[in-house]
Amino acid sequence: MTGGSWLCLLAPLGGTILITLLGTRIPRVAAGWIATTSVFVAFGGAIWACLGVHSRPSPPPPGFEPFGFHPMPRGEITTAWTWLQSGNFHAGLQLLVDPLSTVMMLIVSGVGGLIVLYSIGYMDGDDEERRYFAYISFFVFSMLLLVEGGNLLLLLVGWGLVGLSSYLLIGFWHERPSAVQAAKKAFVMNAVGDATMALAFFILIAHTHSLSFGSAFSVHLSSTAVNLVALGLLGGAVAKSAQIPLQTWLPDAMEGPTPVSALIHAATMVTAGVYLIARTHPIFEQARTIELIAAGTGALTLLVAGLIALVQVDIKRVIAYSTMSQIGYMFLGAGVGAYANGMFHLLTHAFFKALLFMAAGLAIHALAGEQDIRNMRGLGRLMPFTKWCFLAGALALVGIPPFSGFFSKDSIVASTINIGWYGWIFWACGIAGAFLTGLYTFRLWFLVFPGEPSPFVREHHHRHGRLEGSLTMLVPVGILAVLTTIGGWLQWSPRWHPFTDWLEPAARTLPAAVPTNTQEYYTSAATVLAGLAGIAIAWAIYSERTIKIPAAPFWRRTLECKFYVDELYDAVFYRPGAAIANGLRREFEEPVVLQAGPDLGETTLEAGGFVRRIQTGLLRTYVLFLAAGAAGVVLAFLIAK
Amino acid sequence: MSGPDVAWYVAVAAVLFGIGALGVLIRRNTLVVLLSLELMLNAGNLALIALARHWHNGAGQIFALAVMAVAASEVCVGLGLVVALNRRNLSLDVDSLSELKG
Repeated sequence: MTGGSWLCLLAPLGGTILITLLGTRIPRVAAGWIATTSVFVAFGGAIWACLGVHSRPSPPPPGFEPFGFHPMPRGEITTAWTWLQSGNFHAGLQLLVDPLSTVMMLIVSGVGGLIVLYSIGYMDGDDEERRYFAYISFFVFSMLLLVEGGNLLLLLVGWGLVGLSSYLLIGFWHERPSAVQAAKKAFVMNAVGDATMALAFFILIAHTHSLSFGSAFSVHLSSTAVNLVALGLLGGAVAKSAQIPLQTWLPDAMEGPTPVSALIHAATMVTAGVYLIARTHPIFEQARTIELIAAGTGALTLLVAGLIALVQVDIKRVIAYSTMSQIGYMFLGAGVGAYANGMFHLLTHAFFKALLFMAAGLAIHALAGEQDIRNMRGLGRLMPFTKWCFLAGALALVGIPPFSGFFSKDSIVASTINIGWYGWIFWACGIAGAFLTGLYTFRLWFLVFPGEPSPFVREHHHRHGRLEGSLTMLVPVGILAVLTTIGGWLQWSPRWHPFTDWLEPAARTLPAAVPTNTQEYYTSAATVLAGLAGIAIAWAIYSERTIKIPAAPFWRRTLECKFYVDELYDAVFYRPGAAIANGLRREFEEPVVLQAGPDLGETTLEAGGFVRRIQTGLLRTYVLFLAAGAAGVVLAFLIAK
Repeated sequence: MSGPDVAWYVAVAAVLFGIGALGVLIRRNTLVVLLSLELMLNAGNLALIALARHWHNGAGQIFALAVMAVAASEVCVGLGLVVALNRRNLSLDVDSLSELKG
């Protein structure tokens, strides 16, 4: 099973190196196939590792260990070599295979493989396909390092590397200034999170002298220290997962190619925050306040993102805001202690969000790059396959049974009930979020797919061959559509819960976050009804046009400006910084630093002009000085005597 | 051991040195300047030998010999310069050789 984890990690890295070294000696399509193969080999490794974990004996019963957490039940750490050593601190190049990491490995390499395959068709004809495929397999490697890393240091390395590959891929079309800006923004926002995480790790090292999962978690820290560590980790998670208040980079990241949005900014990287909370849950459980702040952040984000998604007109941005909203649900689940439910939503979200992005990619591809949904009416008539796949994804997103979102989202909302009085606030947020999800998702659907094709669509739509896209694009979309439909049947919390059982040894759900079956049923009914109500209103507004959109210009503008968060950050961070820099340039650099050079030269010249008068050129002057000097020395000796 | 007191020797040496220094300072002919330099050196020699005799210490005589060797070398260089100046038809007036004037 450890062999599987190493294979899983190193195959995409091998793909990257191969594509980079072969360069232009291979045809462009070959680069795509190398990347795809390497990621699918990684998927094979992940299955191998997963079967290995499965064959391990079951974990001891709950309450068996003193801290309620056993370092690695049913898991194993393999160490290649000691990577860093400093005093009594050392960190190995080690991988962790346990139920949690194998789930993530399967998601990253499985969904990742499908998306890389899709990229072959989507990126066909781009000038720099090889670079794209090198980057994307590097991303898969980084993400696998993040989820497989056997200690917090390697996790941080993976964390930084996914940030880097995200930056490279958002800015892939580097001739577009907006893409470059978006890439920089994503990188800076993520760097904030990386920094808080690094600070948390410093505190951990100072107190426990270790960053390994087992020993760092089993030591009891003082409550201040553990709160600070949890807060630092939460900062990293919030930045990577685009939650409030570090959410502004994700919509802009849609400047990257659509498969990148599907892979990095929907299915894998942005959900890393949820993985981080589940992985470090022993720390969060000691800092329960911080954990609840995580849940509150999730609840707030899912509402805010849902509201903003209502007014966006770019098809990818709508889906991006829905991603933020869904990750809000995952944070809510992980924050209240229902780690398995959060992870299950991560899994189903990876299916249906990748599907939505890739279906949207098919539409964008067919319309020669158009992304404005106001121009897309009636596309379904021309692209029936895309239409049905998108519908499956949309229903899963809203959480309509039997699609996968129903099974994962409802159990998250239900798990908030029992945690205390604030649980009801979270619960209400979850239900309201479901309503908003129905509304914005089906606004998108009714604007784009049904009805007669608009003139714009008729004019710009063009088929690539007989089908709606190349086979490499259609096959992954079809597979994901099937997974989106049936993937949720894996677990229905009130009845059967193999996924929760599987994760039990790695991240046991807190008792307070386990609802009764009745609560689950009522919650499911409420979320589904809220979702259906959202769909019905979207239908009435955007399809039948029986309800007018309320004209509330203030609110509309606020939402269109995304609650002015960008402007706020601009005013709070950028402008003062720029003002100080400009002021220093005007007041210090230009008058002082830049003037120092010429001043120094002139002073030296003046001094030289003064001193050179001593050099008369007359021998007798020199002799006189010499004699006077000698006489002076003699006199000095005489006086001293 | 008879003869004038050592003070007289030193006085003569001082006078000779003064004459030499004055010559270096006020004469303009290069050759005379060199001569005056020799005079100063030999004034030093005279003082060294007189004091060596006075203190019964041979080191002074050795110094005098060393100074003679240095003086001989110095004269060689000095006369060489004079010859070189002459060959280039340059003036032997030290005041006119002032190209290093700042």
